[in-house]
Amino acid sequence: MARLSLLLRLARMALVSLWAFRLRSCFVIAATGLGIASLTIIVAAVDGAQKKAVEITDSFGPDAAFVLGGDVFSRAVGQRTSTLTWEDVRRIRQSLPGVYLVVPMRAVVKVSLRYGSSNFVADNLIGSTEDYATAWNWPLAEGRDLTREDVDLAAKVTILGVDPARALFGGENPLGKSILINDTPFTVIGLLSERGFSSGHGSSVDNRLVAPISTLTQRFNLDRKHFRALRIKFHDAANMQANVENLRSFLRTLHGLGPTDKDDFTILTADEVLKFLSMLKGSLVAFLGVTAAVAILVGGFVLANLFYLSVSERAQEIGIRRAFGAPAWAIMAQFLCEAVALTLLGAALGQALGLGLGQLLARLEILEIELSAKIFLLSVGSAVAIGLLFGLRPARQAARLDPIQALRS
Amino acid sequence: MSGAQTPRPLVRITDVRRVYRQGDLDVEILKGVSLDIGQGEFVALQGPSGSGKSTLLHILGLLDRPTSGIYELDGRDVSGLSDDEQSEVRGQLIGFVFQSFYLIPYITALDNVLLPALYSPAQTGEARARAVELLGLVGLSDRTDFKPTQLSGGQQQRVALARALINAPRMLLADEPTGQLDSATSREIMDLMSAINSQGTTVVVVTHEEATAAYARRRIIVADGRVDHG
Repeated sequence: MARLSLLLRLARMALVSLWAFRLRSCFVIAATGLGIASLTIIVAAVDGAQKKAVEITDSFGPDAAFVLGGDVFSRAVGQRTSTLTWEDVRRIRQSLPGVYLVVPMRAVVKVSLRYGSSNFVADNLIGSTEDYATAWNWPLAEGRDLTREDVDLAAKVTILGVDPARALFGGENPLGKSILINDTPFTVIGLLSERGFSSGHGSSVDNRLVAPISTLTQRFNLDRKHFRALRIKFHDAANMQANVENLRSFLRTLHGLGPTDKDDFTILTADEVLKFLSMLKGSLVAFLGVTAAVAILVGGFVLANLFYLSVSERAQEIGIRRAFGAPAWAIMAQFLCEAVALTLLGAALGQALGLGLGQLLARLEILEIELSAKIFLLSVGSAVAIGLLFGLRPARQAARLDPIQALRS
Repeated sequence: MSGAQTPRPLVRITDVRRVYRQGDLDVEILKGVSLDIGQGEFVALQGPSGSGKSTLLHILGLLDRPTSGIYELDGRDVSGLSDDEQSEVRGQLIGFVFQSFYLIPYITALDNVLLPALYSPAQTGEARARAVELLGLVGLSDRTDFKPTQLSGGQQQRVALARALINAPRMLLADEPTGQLDSATSREIMDLMSAINSQGTTVVVVTHEEATAAYARRRIIVADGRVDHG
């Protein structure tokens, strides 16, 4: 009890000393502040990446598989082979158990759009069968999805993503309007809701429009037998591994592959996407983690050195305190209080700095950040740890000074 | 102090030696000192420099430990106490006044006076009132919020005196308290110490100034590590 009240009085005394040596205090605050700032950014960025990963896999759908023609992992993007056929679609729909939706897709990149005097180049024109929006868990903001009739008739209808809709129509409602896609008129029947993340090539997933796959094949004179990809949804999301294995062996049989042949297709599921994203997150953690650790270490060394200096400069003060009844542990406690008070101030500065910089990086779309109480607790925790760890040796040195020697210095 | 019992001395040191190691050499500063100082005495320790009088004062103040011998303070053997225990005894029973004042430069006169109370279990509120009272007693009521650098030497020494008294010590130890002061200021300080002594506090002054030593009722001469009870 007496010790506690002494500690409180020492803490107050520590603040007075810090104010008296404010220049030195500023250095320590700045040094630990930079360390804490890096820590704040890394935690915010890693949490941001995590949140993004969950968002992306959620939108991918835990009950879905995405099949691409060719082995995308061992071939460059341009060399994917067209291996998926309409026959595959028919047979999967007919015979693969547990499947409720099979939507083939193909895409044409960089198509030019026009409406009135507005022009826009869309990154992707996707060709799909009916139920595109359902297959991709992508709700429509307005209008309707593609129907079987649209596909059978090769109707010149399109669903717009948010980017082309904004570029061509601004605030106007695009439904029922006619736009030119590479100079062919299409009627807008629907509008996709905004997803707001990048597709991985630096372009936004919202920068797309969708049309019946039959229309795309005709108008762009594409391979009539093959298409690029297949979106499949299963009833039982809990058993995705088994579902994917069934799909794999089924496709291998359909494609007549022998036991030693490699797959001529690639199956992606939310798990794969998550694996890929956590790999990205891993490198982010490694890079930022090393940076933060170095910054914190530098902060700690600055603190330790300035405190050694402080102890030798304030030796007389230490001697005076000892002469008037301060036990050695109280001297040590005072210097530790000073160290922790400084690193806590450093934590406040570092968090402000880190959050500010994080917001800036987020606004520049360099980093995705996510703020939480964890950041606060982590930086306060590491600030206290730096103060105690790096303040300990100088504080012990102060406590061990011989009172008479200290007085005479 | 009347009655059949002989009053027990406040300080009793018996055959105290203090040996310092300097390089490969042992230097014996105190060569077996025995000494009693009674409660309420005013003692001057005198002697040439290097005679060991400061070392003796430091041992009396528990700032230094005898190499051998016994130190009893207020009837209790304090030579074997742990560092923490010695600090506690020092804070409660002893007050110091130094030649160079030794005030902490970055805190106010009032906070300097309060410093020993910081480490004692006394209530902060009471200590504060007492500190203000003591600063009034030494004539510095209007200087409580001044930093030491804003005060003259004599004023600083008066703050130091008030600080020495904040925990109401049994014994005041002064090491050349007037060494940096002019004669008029020295007289003021020594008058204050006399007044403190007349309230019952034991005062031990190390000095080589005759005018300062003249305030003491008993002189102890220290020469070559031994005392001559003059």
